Amino acid sequence: MAGPTPYMALAFILFVIGATGLLTRRNALIMFMSVELMLNAVNLTFVAAGRAIGNFTGQISVFFVLVVAAAEVVVGLAIIVAVFQKRNSASVDELSEMKG
Amino acid sequence: MSDLIWSAIAPELVLVILSGLILVVSVWKKPPLKSMAVLVGAGLVATWAAWGLQLSRLQDIVDAGSFGALAFNDMVITDGTAVIARLILMVILTLAVALAWPMLDEIGQRSAEALVLMFLATAGFMLLAAATNLVMAFIGLEVGSISLYVLAAVARKSRLADEAAMKYFLLGSFASAVFIYGVALLYAGSGSVSIDALRSFSGRVIVSPGVLYVSMAMLVVGVLFKVTAAPFHAWAPDVYQGSAAGVVGFMAAAAKVGGFVALVRIVGITYVRFADDWRPALAAIAALSIVLGTLLALSQTDFRRMLAYSGIAHAGFILVGVAAGRSANEAILFYLAVYTVQLVTAFGIAAIVSGPTSSGSPFSAYKGLASRSPFLAAGLATTMLGMSGMPITSGFIGKLGVFRAAWEKGLEWLVVVALVASVAAFFFYLRVIVDMYMRDPDEETADVAAEPQVAGRVAIAVAVVVTVLFGLYPSPLLDLIRNVVS
Repeated sequence: MAGPTPYMALAFILFVIGATGLLTRRNALIMFMSVELMLNAVNLTFVAAGRAIGNFTGQISVFFVLVVAAAEVVVGLAIIVAVFQKRNSASVDELSEMKG
Repeated sequence: MSDLIWSAIAPELVLVILSGLILVVSVWKKPPLKSMAVLVGAGLVATWAAWGLQLSRLQDIVDAGSFGALAFNDMVITDGTAVIARLILMVILTLAVALAWPMLDEIGQRSAEALVLMFLATAGFMLLAAATNLVMAFIGLEVGSISLYVLAAVARKSRLADEAAMKYFLLGSFASAVFIYGVALLYAGSGSVSIDALRSFSGRVIVSPGVLYVSMAMLVVGVLFKVTAAPFHAWAPDVYQGSAAGVVGFMAAAAKVGGFVALVRIVGITYVRFADDWRPALAAIAALSIVLGTLLALSQTDFRRMLAYSGIAHAGFILVGVAAGRSANEAILFYLAVYTVQLVTAFGIAAIVSGPTSSGSPFSAYKGLASRSPFLAAGLATTMLGMSGMPITSGFIGKLGVFRAAWEKGLEWLVVVALVASVAAFFFYLRVIVDMYMRDPDEETADVAAEPQVAGRVAIAVAVVVTVLFGLYPSPLLDLIRNVVS
């Protein structure tokens, strides 16, 4: 069996893709997906490391991260829907009424 | 199991039970807000009692010669820092509920939700402040943050509130993801998610030791986002300008208390081995926050935006203490206590002046406030002087404490930067006072009544008394902190 390194490298790449997506895309839904990608990269890191280390802490941590991610989905989608209803667009470029 | 010590999380338990009760009662009986006040008041008293219970247990622990006791399988600790952080959070929650009452009146049906979100956010940040396990800290951070994202948009009428909530949510969840990735990397390196792993990390388990630095940096950056330190502050001005006026003070203050106490814990443990590596980095972030916050606050035209930028500068002042290390802990807690009370009061007064669900609060609304409402003007003037660090106010004692601790640790240049910025900051705090006392009101605001309700009046009066009293005679609070944090 391969060691944890390939998995952790993949997780790192996913995390960077997520972070890049969040910082460069302008559509709120895609930015939101990027956050989810980052959280799942964290999960992959936890599981891969947990398997190599041989204790359960990593796998248990994944459950907590999943629950938090689910809570974020609920709140995030609600906010995006509220914004969409008022502006008919989910682009964050519309959200520039405050400046200074 | 023997370490299920309920008093270690007593205030959070009461707050969560209270939240459940409020939700059930509000759906079931649909009581008017006046009857809800009884339940909320009783709940707050119960939470204070739970805190008192915890303080007495801490006193026993300290008397037995220990600084704290772990509970729940080393998930949370009852030590001086955690108990004082809870005290600060309770004070700002109580003041904020009193000041938010006009807003709760106005949003009608949703007032129960707003109250529950405030209680849950407080419970979350309390857990964050007490956590000694980083996954536990993450849960606390998220319970607090997610509640605040919703709270930002609780006044649904305003377009700016939606904008604020969206920005807060996207950047806040980015920060949370960075934080938890730091935890995952720490786990990969040490096999543990305990905060102590930052000290015992050997790098032998999986990844190279360099990852430890990345992991520590990610933990610190994740928390710095929440406390609005530059360069992670971009969201703060928009969020504090746009969110519902009645709760924005609570949002700003609660996140700062929870975040800074977590930061003190993380930095305290990394300093054991890596103080020389981390002190310059933290000092640089502190200096950047102070300079950027002060300069940008000078050019604002909106009072709440100005408070957001001044909050970035204040985050920098507190970071001066964090950079100094463990010797500054008492000073940091004192600073947090007095500053967050002033922050809640200032935003609360802005909510009375500009309307409880308003977004933004232009400076023109404060012209001639002294003639329209001498009470509010006096309250705001004292708060502004306290924030500026004027002698005889509590803000001065707070600044003195963190600056002294940093000076003793050889950060003289940082203290000089902070002192220069404090002097420059007088300008924008005094501008508000000059507007209130020496200008005539604009035509459109001259007739607008700006009078707080009874609860708000009491809250403002208490905050003013606290600001002046701890400026003249700080020893009761300092003694309380020193007694349990050592």
